Formats: sequence, C-alpha cells, structure tokens
Amino acid sequence: MPALTRRHLIATSAAFLVVPRMALAQDPQAILRAAFNNWRAETSHAVMEMTIRGASGTRSLTMESWTKGRDTALVRFTAPARDAGNATLQAGRRTYVFNPRLNQVIQLPASAMQQSWMGSDFSYNDLTKTEALVNDYTHRLLETRRAGGRNIYVIEAIPKRGKPIVWGKQIVTVRDDYVLLGQQFYDQTGVLVREMVTGKVRNIGGRPYPAEITMSSVATPDQWTRVVTKSAEFDLALPGYLFTRSNLQNPR
Amino acid sequence: METFKLLAPLAWRNLWRNPRRTIITLFVVSVGLWSILAVASFISAWAQSSRDATLRLLIAQGQIHAVGYMDDPNISNLMPPPDEALVAALDTSGISNWVARLELPGVVQSEYKTLPVSLVGVDPEAERRISSIPSKIVEGRYLDGPEDDSAVIGLNLAKRLKTALGRRVILMVTAEDGWLEERSFDVVGIYDADTAFEDTYIFTGRRPMQAMVGVGDKIAQIAFEVPEDAALAGVVERLRAAAPTLDVREWRKISLIMGAMDATMGGVVFIWMAVMMVMISIGVINTQLMAVFERTHEFGLLRALGFKSRHVLLLVTFESVLLIGLGVLIGMIAGAATVWGLSDGIDLSAFGKALEAFKAGDTLYLEVNPIDYIIFPLAIWALGVVVALWPAYRAQKISPVEAMRQAT
Repeated sequence: MPALTRRHLIATSAAFLVVPRMALAQDPQAILRAAFNNWRAETSHAVMEMTIRGASGTRSLTMESWTKGRDTALVRFTAPARDAGNATLQAGRRTYVFNPRLNQVIQLPASAMQQSWMGSDFSYNDLTKTEALVNDYTHRLLETRRAGGRNIYVIEAIPKRGKPIVWGKQIVTVRDDYVLLGQQFYDQTGVLVREMVTGKVRNIGGRPYPAEITMSSVATPDQWTRVVTKSAEFDLALPGYLFTRSNLQNPR
Repeated sequence: METFKLLAPLAWRNLWRNPRRTIITLFVVSVGLWSILAVASFISAWAQSSRDATLRLLIAQGQIHAVGYMDDPNISNLMPPPDEALVAALDTSGISNWVARLELPGVVQSEYKTLPVSLVGVDPEAERRISSIPSKIVEGRYLDGPEDDSAVIGLNLAKRLKTALGRRVILMVTAEDGWLEERSFDVVGIYDADTAFEDTYIFTGRRPMQAMVGVGDKIAQIAFEVPEDAALAGVVERLRAAAPTLDVREWRKISLIMGAMDATMGGVVFIWMAVMMVMISIGVINTQLMAVFERTHEFGLLRALGFKSRHVLLLVTFESVLLIGLGVLIGMIAGAATVWGLSDGIDLSAFGKALEAFKAGDTLYLEVNPIDYIIFPLAIWALGVVVALWPAYRAQKISPVEAMRQAT
C-alpha cells in the first residue's frame, strides 16, 4: 500500500498546485470576457481583408478598423476602388454609415441593424452587439478539451429570460490563452443555424489572435464571409476626433 | 287606339307562325337576363360578404385616431384614451361595440428572418366582441387579458419566420425616446386569416405594449362597430361632435381599397350586362330580319290592301315588343327562382384556400335586390326594341308594287 499512498500524494499535491489557476479560468463568463478583451482590447487598430463568397461569386474587400472600449468603432474600406471610402461608425447606440458616392452620412434606423453589412454574412448587430454574449446569457462550461498542448474551453451560453435574443443557445469555444476559436448559433429547437470558425491563430500585435475567421449559415454552406486580420495594434492612444461624424465623412 | 287593337292580335299571331324561331329568341333573351340578374345577386352577395369578413378582422365600421396618425402611423401621432364626453358618445350613439388599441409599425425577428410588421396592443376581452381574430386561432390560444405580454401571430408569418408555438420572437418598435425598443415575446397563439393580414399583424396585450414603448396610457385608435351600415354616417357625425380634435372616419375612408371596391363592384354587373346586350341584340336582329325578309310579299299585299307604311313599322315593332317582353318576363322569373333556390346559402368552404384571396366568408347568401329587377329588365326590353327598329324600318320601306311582283 505504500506505493499507492505515495502516488496518491503526488497526484493530490499536483492537483493543489493547479486548482487555484483552474478555478479562475473555469468561470465561463470570465473566460468569455477575457476572450473579448483579447479580441478588441481597450483600443485597437487593425487592417483586415474580408472575402465574401456569395451566390453570385466571390469578392474581396480591404478595410481598416479602429475600436475604443466596448461600443465605439470605425471601419473604413480601402479597396477595391468600387467600395473604397465606404465607412461605418458605431458610437454608443447609434450607427452611421457613410457612402462616398452619395457623399452623405446616414444614421441607420434601428430596424436596419439586422441587415447585412456590406453584403457579408455579418449584420450590423453582429458588429455592435458583441457584449450581449457576456452580459445577457447564462454560461456553463460544458467541457475542457486538450488539443495542441493547450486547454480548450467549450462554453454553452443560454439567453437570460426576457432578453431580446432570438437564439436558443450559443456554443463558444475559447482557447486557454483567450483566443476565440468558434461560435455556434442554435435556434430554439436546438438546430444549428450559423457558425463562426477561427481558421488560423497568429501572433498579431503582441498577442495570440484569431487571424482568420469564417462566418457561414448552415442553410447555405457554400456561401461564407472570411475576415483575415493582416496587422493590428492594441492599447494604443487614439485621437478623440476619430469617432466623430465629421471624421466619418472627411477622414483626416 | 283603333290601330293598336287591330295590330296587337296580328303581331301576337305572327310571332307563333314560326314557333321554333320565336322560342330560340325567347331563350336568348331570357337566359341573357337571367344571367345578368344571377350575376348581380352573386356579386353583391360576394361584395358584402368580403366586406364584412374584412371589416370584422380589425377595421370594424369606423375608427377614431389622432389627426395625422392615418398619414404617418408612428409614436408621435398617438391619442390619449377617450375622455368622458367621447366615452359617453361611444356608449350611446348607436354603436354596438368599441375597442381601444395601440398599433405601431415594428420589426419581428426570429432565428432565421427579420420582417416588418404592425404590432397591435389589444384588450382581449373587448376584442372578442368586435374582431373575428380571437375565433380564428388554429394553434394555442388567444391573449388572456390586457396584461398578457405574449404574442399571437399569423399562420403565414410563423411559416416565414420558421418559428412555432411556444418559441419566442423579438419585436422591435420605435419607442417614445426615438430608440428602437426590443423585447422578447412568447408565441402563445397562431391565427389563420388571409396571408396578407397574417404577414402584417402581431397581437399582444395593450398594457405591456404601452409599457414597452413608454407611452403611458396613450392609444393609437378606437375602433367601433355599428349594427347597420346605413346608420354609420350619423354615428360618425355624433362622434365628431363629441371629439372635435380627433379624426373620426368610416371604413371607406380608412381602407381606401375597400371603399373603391365597394364603389366599383356594381360596375362589373354593367360590363356583364353590356356583353349580354350584344348577344341579345344579335339574336333579336337576326330573327326579326329573317321574319321581315320572309314576309316581303305579305307586306306588299298588306300595303296594297290599305296598310300605311307606318302601320307596317308598328306591326313589326309590336312583334319585337311582345317577343322581348315575354323573354324578359321568363328571365325575371328564372332569376328570382335561382336566388330563392339558393337561399340556404352557397357553401364555398370546399374552395377554402383558393378563395381566401377574395376575402369572402365561407357561405354566400344571395338576395333579390328589387332595384335590379326593375332596372335590368327595363333596360333589356327597351334596348331590344330599339335594335328591332332596324328590321321594322326595312319592312316599312318595302314598296307594294315591287313586293307583289316578287314571286313567293
């Protein structure tokens, strides 16, 4: 029996060493919050390429984005020439779009927020309502997987009663360095409706980052939108004028 | 008078010299008139049935709004709940039922789709008396009370949203502060009306909706029902006097399409009548011309015996007056018999879905409209006689000498 006792002891002490870290990490809401902080930080500036594969073909757009806090963001398209200059500004609850051909800023009526953003599989709400996943859902850690030498958390998020959320649930996959690996949206009967998958994780701006994400609907698997982050900086100082309507229309 | 006494029996006997031809003409005239009368009854029954069915859904016979709401049904054009004077007028002035509703445009969202709708906050108790929607629930239940914060949606909308009973949908309505207020609603009932209606209206309790958009106790409309359409104008006048600052309208001014349909439904009968008139005219002219040509020799003889040319004209005209008059009489009897034979109602339920677009009820009740039985027979008779003047004129022009010389 002594051998067994010793092994037991080693196992128990090893568990003791790990437990405090695990306990912190295993609060699913904290994991999600950390994943979003990793995604956007306090401020961020990124250059991205968005590829939209639609029923009528594939097109690629290049865009530059700036974010500040949780509800302020500016996205400006730079290529191709046809789409260059189009920009979207989120300032709190208001969302503005600028169209260079009309040379006009339009505040989106809230009813249009569910519409597709630049013809992609993302809606304006997808851009602006990221915080809802952290605050308006109850979370449960379904399992902790090991893959590639890392822990991967699979979190089930169910909307809180009365919150204006159509989904029955979301399943979010986060790596233990808080890289968002995937997000699945289920309807209220438990059928998967749409899915976001992180294809590549790279070190960008000094942190591990989901460098390539793909959003698609289950109903149309051959149509998808892929966003590849080319470069990014985080927690940098951004000038205050950046997120104003005048800057949206006439970039300095 | 002497001439009439002489010519009338002659004309009557002439009619039956070729019974087969006369019967064919009678048949054409009577079937023509019968079809006009039957179509008129059917169309008016249909128009009334579809009008009643549509008004029973939501519009009722008339509505009261704040001025401007009809042009722009948004949150800034709501009205306060009815004051004492208006309630008194609503309770007394020949109105059988009335309800107050909040109705605002919004957006409904499911996991799969986002669609524009009109959200209606109702008082279910009152709604059961005035609207047919509570009785059209095919799945689940109607709302419980004015506090019920669930949603009742249309069958087709549920299909388009890919949602179902027991699931939730998100409704977004512009609130008092200009923001789109979002709320989750449990679908507790699904109703079956026509698809356009189903796609437009979602019902919930009035008070939860007022709270959602933050308008206190304001409402969008009062809908009222009057037992007799004839009394409507008077009721509207009295309500206008009781609420001079509000916009009181009868249904014709609310649903302009229905007002226009109501006004043009009669026109269809006249188009049918025009078609039938052409058929009858061809029949009558054909018969009478034949009759005249056949009797050229005879007319010549009559002229030689002392008939004036106008007597010939009168004789032939008399024949057509009698012929068409008899046909019209048969047509009227057949028309009335048809309507009375179908007085139990025409059951359209077998056609159910196919006729839904016409918005009629399941059973049509035909009625004899006395005015139809005066106007249409007289019109046919008069027009028939007028076209028969041409053969008569031909007969009058026959010269006795030439006619007598013609071999028979």
